[in-house]
Formats: sequence, structure tokens, C-alpha cells
Amino acid sequence: MATTATISISSDIAPGFGGISESMTLTQAGNLIDIDSTTGFSIRKLSADSVVDLVTMASELVEPKDSVAAKIFIRNIGYKGVIDKAVGVTIGVNAEPIGKLYGGDWMMMPLTCIDADDITATPATDDTVVLEYVMFYEEA
Amino acid sequence: MATTTAAVTLTSDLLSDNMSVSASTTCMKAGTTADGLDQMEYGYLDLVTGDEYDLIAATPTATKASKLYLKNHSTDETYFIAVTQNAQAIGKLYGGDWMFIPADFHDAAGDIAITANGGTNKICYALFHEGTALVTT
Repeated sequence: MATTATISISSDIAPGFGGISESMTLTQAGNLIDIDSTTGFSIRKLSADSVVDLVTMASELVEPKDSVAAKIFIRNIGYKGVIDKAVGVTIGVNAEPIGKLYGGDWMMMPLTCIDADDITATPATDDTVVLEYVMFYEEA
Repeated sequence: MATTTAAVTLTSDLLSDNMSVSASTTCMKAGTTADGLDQMEYGYLDLVTGDEYDLIAATPTATKASKLYLKNHSTDETYFIAVTQNAQAIGKLYGGDWMFIPADFHDAAGDIAITANGGTNKICYALFHEGTALVTT
């Protein structure tokens, strides 16, 4: 079993920049064994500019192992086919804002999965927006 | 308009049917569809163990639409870098792992910091942004 993620970045900002194309296989911490647990693919519709937990670490059905090799993918897919680049959702970890996903933007980052480090989402406005996300982790 | 595009393909066979997700986004300045990110920095460095170092010291303009790519190019899977923002742990990138986030340099404390573990880690990073406060000599 394997989970892989490939990123490709192209840019014409800097002359001569050849772009980035990298793949990774999601493995367990410190070895080459494939990561073995996932939340599954989920969507969350947000219609208020208040903070919500996208992932509440202490409430996962299967307890994730702390401080190892977890990853999360999150994407702002807009609402009903309309992707608004002007409206963003701030993604946070334990109340620390990591960054804002505008319409169509995606992110992939490692996680600690410790109980305090919930993944939060705070829309900038009350316009309806949908996030899709999936977390991969090791079972505790 | 400068154009920066970031695409990802994510596949997994952990579920009963294979999952495959593809996404692509054009990296725009904050809150606009008319103007793309137009500045960047790109680096490759050896990160020695022992201390936490600022990878990005909160110089891009706060609350803009910066995007940060970071990969641990170490070939030893036991090596990892711990990544923090404003002292909040984000997670660990083991050898071969990468991350891509919309970094929020919300204030002077919003640095992205990294710490090497296991040995000297090789790091590649790229920051795409829309403005930086240059430091005078």
C-alpha cells in the first residue's frame, strides 16, 4: 500500500527558474514503511466567519500517534462551482494562523497530531465556501 | 502578469477504492484575480543540528498571499526537520518529504523556523510572495 504526493511548481517570476517537480511517498516516521491510516476524504461547508475545527485531534476515531509523520492536504474548492479568489479561509494550528487559502488554493503540510494542535479554519467572510481535506497519519 | 502555478497529485490505496486527487492553482496576490505573485526567493542549504534557525524571518509583507515550498532532500529516512511558525510546531519533514503552505507572516513573530535532527539535513525551499521589507545596510 502506498500514498504518494507529487508537486509541480512553474513560475516566470525569476528568469532561469526551472520549476520544481518532486514526489514523496508518505511513510511512517524514520523508516520506509508506508503510512497506514487516514481520515478519508472529507468536505466541510463553512458559511460564517467564525473559527471551526477542521480536525479535532482528540476526537479522531482512531487516535493518531503524536509527533511523527502525519500530513494533511486541504483545498478551498469554492461553492457550487464558483471559486472566488478574493475570499480566503485562514488555516491554523492550535490558534496559530498558518496561512490563508483563497479560492482554488491548496496546501499540504506535516502535522504533530498532538491533542492541542487542532486544525482550524476561519473564513474571512460569511460567504459560503467548501474545504476538502484528507489527513494521513500513524495509528497510536 | 507574473504567473506561478502550483499543482499537486495525491494518490492513495489505503481506502477500499484508490483515491486520486489532482489540484492546480495560480498563485495570486491577496484577494485579487488580476495580479499574480511577482517576487520569489529560492534556496538550497545544509541545515546542521543543534539550533533552531529562521528559514523565513517574517520579512514578506504581513497578511499577504505568500506561498512557501519546503523539501527535506536528506536521503536518510531517519533524518528530519521540525518546522515551526511563531513557535507553534507545525510538524516534521523526514528525508524526502515536502510541504507547501500559504504562509501567513502576520507579524514580526511569524517566522518560519526549522531544526535539524539526526544529522545535517539538506533543505530546498522556495518562497513566492508579493513584497518584502528589505533590510538596510
